Amino acid sequence: MHKAYKYSILYFIVFSLLLLASGFLLFEEKIGLSVHALRAYYLGDEALFMSAKSTQGLLKIVLPHIFAFALLSMVLLHFLKFTNTKNKKALIVLIYALFSAQFFEIFAPFFMLHISELFVYVKLFSLLVYFGLMLITLHLLFASIAFSKK
Amino acid sequence: MRFTLIKDLKHDAIMKPVLGGLLFFILLYLVADLFVKQSSFGLTPDTVKATLFGNEEEFLDPLSKAAFLEFWHMEIFFSMMLLFTLSAVYIRMSEGSKKALVVVNLLFISTLVSLFSLFIAYFFKQNFVTFYLLSFHLWHITALFCSLYSLKRLYFA
Repeated sequence: MHKAYKYSILYFIVFSLLLLASGFLLFEEKIGLSVHALRAYYLGDEALFMSAKSTQGLLKIVLPHIFAFALLSMVLLHFLKFTNTKNKKALIVLIYALFSAQFFEIFAPFFMLHISELFVYVKLFSLLVYFGLMLITLHLLFASIAFSKK
Repeated sequence: MRFTLIKDLKHDAIMKPVLGGLLFFILLYLVADLFVKQSSFGLTPDTVKATLFGNEEEFLDPLSKAAFLEFWHMEIFFSMMLLFTLSAVYIRMSEGSKKALVVVNLLFISTLVSLFSLFIAYFFKQNFVTFYLLSFHLWHITALFCSLYSLKRLYFA
């Protein structure tokens, strides 16, 4: 791999970290990171004068994220092909787990609204899993690209 | 990213117009971004400060924390995707020269400085708006150079 491409990918990793950090801050500011805050934001809370989100309202938030999540994951995950990791099965598990986590992270609010309030736990869990898996992916890429001698 | 594997891009009937189109639209995006920023966010220290912190004389409300973070989050996403795509084409068109390495570093570092400066300006020190604007213009000029240089190499070299 050419040195300039290596730099370009390393910068992309830094930007991805920044994107995750800004997403985390935004989530904490707008919604909150507790089950109570999530329930209030999506299902409403009379005591806090918050109304429940509508399906259309959720769609407006979700729509750009469906494409953005998929694009970001595709770009990052396809670089795994160039890592030195020998355990290919673990990489496949990581890929499926990341896409599953982001699916539930995006769509759990709809399930919360239309199926059961218990999906509030799925939303929080999938968010944390998504962040964790993204950090693992970024670490794998960084370690293999920054220290590769090729 | 298949174009990184094709040996003679300038004579490839499929990849040449594809990359030409991509570079042309990147140019359009960069120019449009300047116009949008000028009208909705500001491109001078005073206008950016008025957007971020409000202005009592002009009855402008400050940007809320959530609105700022939303703006910052989107800026990060769009700039990372744009720069990554552009740098891949630029590196390929300049055949990985040492100059290309310097330009790619300048492009990414100035963008990172612009994003961090904006964050620091909003949360900690208003004067960082100046750093934000300087680095914002620098990364746009560098990106414009990369697009124009790549187009030149693709069609006229």
